[in-house]
Amino acid sequence: MHPSDPKLIWIQYSEKLKKKQTSGNDLIRVGLAGSFTMDPLVPYLGGCLLKRGIPGLVLSVGPFNQLYQLCFDPAAAFGKDALHGIVLLWRVEDLVPVLLEKALVGDVQAAESLFEELDRFQSAIHNLRKSFEGTLIISTPPYPSLPSFDILEMDQPVAGMMLHNNILRRWTDGLNSIGRIKIIDMNGLLLQEGFACSHDARKWYLYKQPYTEAFWAKVGEQTSRIIAAEFVSAKKCIVFDCDNTIWGGIIGEDGLSGIELGEDFPGNTFRDFQKYLLYLRNRGILLAIASRNNKEDVVEVFEKHDAMILSLDHISVIEAHWNSKVESLKNIAAALNIGADSLVFIDDNPKEISEVQARLPEVTCFLVPEEIAFLPNMLRGTGLFDTTGITDEDRARAEMMKAEQKRKEVSAGQSEEDFLRSLELVINVFEAEPIHMARVTQLINKTNQFNLTTIRRTQDELEAMVSIDHTHVFTMDMEDRFGKYGLVGVAIVKKTSEEEWFIDTFLMSCRALGRGAETSFLAKIASAVKYYGGKTLRGEYRPTKKNALAKDFYRNHGFDREDASGQWIASVDSVKKPSDYVNVSLKLVD
Amino acid sequence: MSDRLFQLFSEVLEVDVSTLNDESSPDTIEQWDSLGAMHLVAAIEGEFGVQLSTKEIMKMTTIGFARETLRKKGVDI
Repeated sequence: MHPSDPKLIWIQYSEKLKKKQTSGNDLIRVGLAGSFTMDPLVPYLGGCLLKRGIPGLVLSVGPFNQLYQLCFDPAAAFGKDALHGIVLLWRVEDLVPVLLEKALVGDVQAAESLFEELDRFQSAIHNLRKSFEGTLIISTPPYPSLPSFDILEMDQPVAGMMLHNNILRRWTDGLNSIGRIKIIDMNGLLLQEGFACSHDARKWYLYKQPYTEAFWAKVGEQTSRIIAAEFVSAKKCIVFDCDNTIWGGIIGEDGLSGIELGEDFPGNTFRDFQKYLLYLRNRGILLAIASRNNKEDVVEVFEKHDAMILSLDHISVIEAHWNSKVESLKNIAAALNIGADSLVFIDDNPKEISEVQARLPEVTCFLVPEEIAFLPNMLRGTGLFDTTGITDEDRARAEMMKAEQKRKEVSAGQSEEDFLRSLELVINVFEAEPIHMARVTQLINKTNQFNLTTIRRTQDELEAMVSIDHTHVFTMDMEDRFGKYGLVGVAIVKKTSEEEWFIDTFLMSCRALGRGAETSFLAKIASAVKYYGGKTLRGEYRPTKKNALAKDFYRNHGFDREDASGQWIASVDSVKKPSDYVNVSLKLVD
Repeated sequence: MSDRLFQLFSEVLEVDVSTLNDESSPDTIEQWDSLGAMHLVAAIEGEFGVQLSTKEIMKMTTIGFARETLRKKGVDI
């Protein structure tokens, strides 16, 4: 097996775990159950999760085809340890085989009963969703494997497809109305991999497991993407070369009319790749250029070539010069206020790739494929940009970055205070409501630099916290005369005694820093705590490799260090007040 | 170098390779239950690049029988 084979990675990890070479702390626990034998999924899912950066995990398989029981009593299936996630895969033919066959041949009564059964299964899932706090991943039912559901049947073509489409529709509508459920599209996977290639009749009749190893590998990979998106931060920016990457040929040598881009091969592969990059940008991924070229030459293609899909407006940073790509990548990360580990780098030159890999190993690199027809789909299925849900801030981020560039231009040549005054900052601090939770969760899991405690939480955990009395989740949005920043700060504050409140989490997106936002946010939280009857605030700084920026935050905001615990304490009245150039408001729930 | 087939059985069933011989069977190895058998079939097919029929799978009641089946399929073991 290849060293990067998920199955091999899992086997090696399991051995270490058994020999206690890996710590038992911080393990992610996931329970797996299905209407068929799920054991073959374990090594593939496990290996893929480890590859995606989950540090340690335990996968438990529940009893086969007992999904109802499991929904009402997950502990009986998976044991008492709290689970971070449950994955349920199921097929209609396992659940209601007889009704399915009857419905196929037009028995209306049977079809009715079949849908009632599905509804009953769904209300069991609804029950599980209410009682379980972790991530819940439920499959769509794959196209039935029964012989009567022959896709190539001549007598009644598409009857099976139509019935299955109705089932799919009813099922996904139902899951969406329950809410907070991640869907793994087993039907889509089957379509992607091919029905005939995915089934192994021998394994079904021998072991009650229907699929080939190759298909299990795909199921594992796809499931790992959904789980990992909750725990591993997504890439934020894609940096690409120009020559032989977004167009064919070399602009400096071939000139504007000589480069390949357009309707015909190979220009159409580059054009489709640009379309994919634009699609990523619309999802909030930033685009940047690192090219060894004269900048004028690159700009000229963007401005004058009529087959270009991307325009200069889409590009957040252009590094076009003759210095090293490593330098370009560092400049891009600095200009965008993001870590190098948030970058994906694409280049057609293996030497550039290996230099970046050697000197900036945290950057994820891709070499333009030798077979240029594979270029447009190169990043598809990698899961690098997966987030648990695309938020409005993601979509607007690229625009917000452009506003940031304008701010930088205005700030040149002014005193800092004049500049800040000229921004006309408006900050609103308020308690997070359900509609804010997706973005709040994203900030909690992505913010590395200005993050006092770096405690990661899933949306489900967060929602469970909010429902507890004495725990308040604050967030803030911010706006200036150049545009909106969106939600940029999160604080979780808990009442720990009659007088004292503890700041469990305090973080701020880097693009909002340095303008008094963090001071305003903390000041308003102190006001809120005072309003709720608290007298003192206690906070903590937990150092990580990346959060040195936040080290002196409490010291500089009127807090005193308590020697015994190393924590910081301030009375609500002595917390530093916001600067007068910021217009700050506070809104509480009641 | 130890026997490839013993190695495979030892890895899949998580038992010490030195305890295995051609007479080893579900009766002598606790972990060789139906789930173990399922993992063994997947591992054997992956390792030796063969496909086993259900009849062959049902006859693999000892490591020796597994060896015989693989030899018949042209695997040098």
